[in-house]
Amino acid sequence: MTSATDSDDRPGLAVTTTALAVIVFLQVPVIVVMLAAFSTTSYLTIPPQGLTLAWFGKVLSDPSYLSAIRMSLILACGSTVISLVLGVAAAYALFRKSVPGSEAITSFLMAPLILPAVVIGVALLQYFSLTGLRGSLIGLLMAHVVITVPYIVRSGLASLSGLDLAVEEAARVLGATGFEAFRLVTLPLIRPGLVAGALFAFITSLDNVPVTIFLIGANQTTLPVLIFSSVEMGIDPSVAAVSTLLIVATGIVLLIAERRAGFHRFV
Amino acid sequence: MSALTFERLGKSYGDATVVQDVSLAIKEGEFVSLLGPSGCGKTTILRMVAGLVTPSRGRILIGSDDVTALPPNKRGLGLVFQSYALFPHLTVYENVAFGLRRRKVAGAELEKRVKEALAMVRLGAFGERYPRQLSGGQQQRVAIARALAPHPRVLLFDEPLSNLDAQLRDEMQIELKRLQRGLGITTLFVTHDQGEALSMSDRVGVMAKGVMQQFATPEDIYHRPATGFVASFIGKPNRLTGSVALRNGAGGTLSLGGGLKLPASLIDQPEGAKVDIVIRQEAIRLHRDGTETGALAGTIALRSFSGARVQYVVKLAEQVELVAEAPSSGPDSELAIGSSVALAIDPASVFAMSAEGTAA
Repeated sequence: MTSATDSDDRPGLAVTTTALAVIVFLQVPVIVVMLAAFSTTSYLTIPPQGLTLAWFGKVLSDPSYLSAIRMSLILACGSTVISLVLGVAAAYALFRKSVPGSEAITSFLMAPLILPAVVIGVALLQYFSLTGLRGSLIGLLMAHVVITVPYIVRSGLASLSGLDLAVEEAARVLGATGFEAFRLVTLPLIRPGLVAGALFAFITSLDNVPVTIFLIGANQTTLPVLIFSSVEMGIDPSVAAVSTLLIVATGIVLLIAERRAGFHRFV
Repeated sequence: MSALTFERLGKSYGDATVVQDVSLAIKEGEFVSLLGPSGCGKTTILRMVAGLVTPSRGRILIGSDDVTALPPNKRGLGLVFQSYALFPHLTVYENVAFGLRRRKVAGAELEKRVKEALAMVRLGAFGERYPRQLSGGQQQRVAIARALAPHPRVLLFDEPLSNLDAQLRDEMQIELKRLQRGLGITTLFVTHDQGEALSMSDRVGVMAKGVMQQFATPEDIYHRPATGFVASFIGKPNRLTGSVALRNGAGGTLSLGGGLKLPASLIDQPEGAKVDIVIRQEAIRLHRDGTETGALAGTIALRSFSGARVQYVVKLAEQVELVAEAPSSGPDSELAIGSSVALAIDPASVFAMSAEGTAA
């Protein structure tokens, strides 16, 4: 190593430099987009020319952006809540081995994490065309549940495996019904893990393009899909502005999660 | 009327029977231990009583109520777990209040009973703490207070002291016994530690391979074991092999290797049969050579000092060795290696049984 003295166990100069370079490389695009959102030019440019909030104003008064944001939030909130209910129930049953073939079911529920999103999109498109769900909000919501539920199941299983099962038995013997024991003892103990899983689910739904783009109806769109198609048609700083909003919103959610649940322990 | 009754209680998993038709009746206020090696079925019985395991056969009665089919929350029992199983997200106070709240106890009555329970285990000042802020012994006491607070009809203990160090364990034994006596609460205590079972219980049930071997007072278990297993499991046994020379009532005379003869009080095999012989270490008295007639003779092969007692390995003949002990302050505490001794063995502590019957 380079200049490490014998009492000094901090990483050497080479390691530090490499780490810094990687971080800068990964973060530069984010910074570039955020800077470009403030440019007065009608095209994306770096460094930004002048300084204006006009693009944010344009985005926030553009009905197509607003309805896309609304749609994205409805999908993300809806699929997170549904995934939480289904995923926690599934994780609990799988953990207690109260269903035969738990290993197979676990792999099945996890499959959307591994399958290419495009494949899921095409498959669901076929399925929805056959069942008449194509283009409906319900169909889209179900699709988002499919891709978000693995995060809940995985974080649920991980949290449950760290649990002393005797605590639930203790609650039962003390007079709690099965549901009370779950609600009063098990659930609070796995809550931090579930918060982390729910955030993953929320963000996954919020920025999903490959599945959504196959299933979305003709007269509706989500924010990431709209950004995707806006870029195709020619880029102006309003795309950068809406991206900046998305980045800031995600940042705030993560910050709250870290404060409330010690998010970093689950990533 | 009995406080807790098992009627031909049994549990099987597939072909494996872990508890075989156990019947016993525990009296009101009695302290009963189930004692046996791990895997003998004692914990399964406790879990069946609590409602955490469903029996395959038989009935469980609390008082005169058949609770066999009731879920755990309807049985009104208290259970102290080996791992304590405190609720880590609740304070000590809320842990103790948990059972009371499920019974809809609230307000001043709730507070009074939680404080009462905490005072009983001398943790009155610890209500606001969380379990992780307490030592192992304190957590144990919270678990006991939590089980006691709802005034259970029967208190169950699953190896509660096995996670404590030796000194604390001795203190908790006495404290538990005092508490149980004071409250007069019927108690079922599961343990693999014979010292614990014998010292705390009114009656002890010794189990092996799912079968209740003997259910009796500690004195009877120790002095009058009913089966070969109990004889070999209780006390500090020497194990030898030999054969039955003569049967006489329940006992007779045993033949050890090297032409040695030994009277025994319990022999469960016919004359001439090969047997395993159990001789309690504490039943062997050593004397300097020549002081005793009719006793066995041997030489000291090894001496080890362990505080209050001294252990000797005594060689009687080729391949025949016994461990004996003496008080370390007595006249026989300084026998030298190689010296000749006479052994007086109380026949009441000599047992012989078929090779399969002994504890591993």
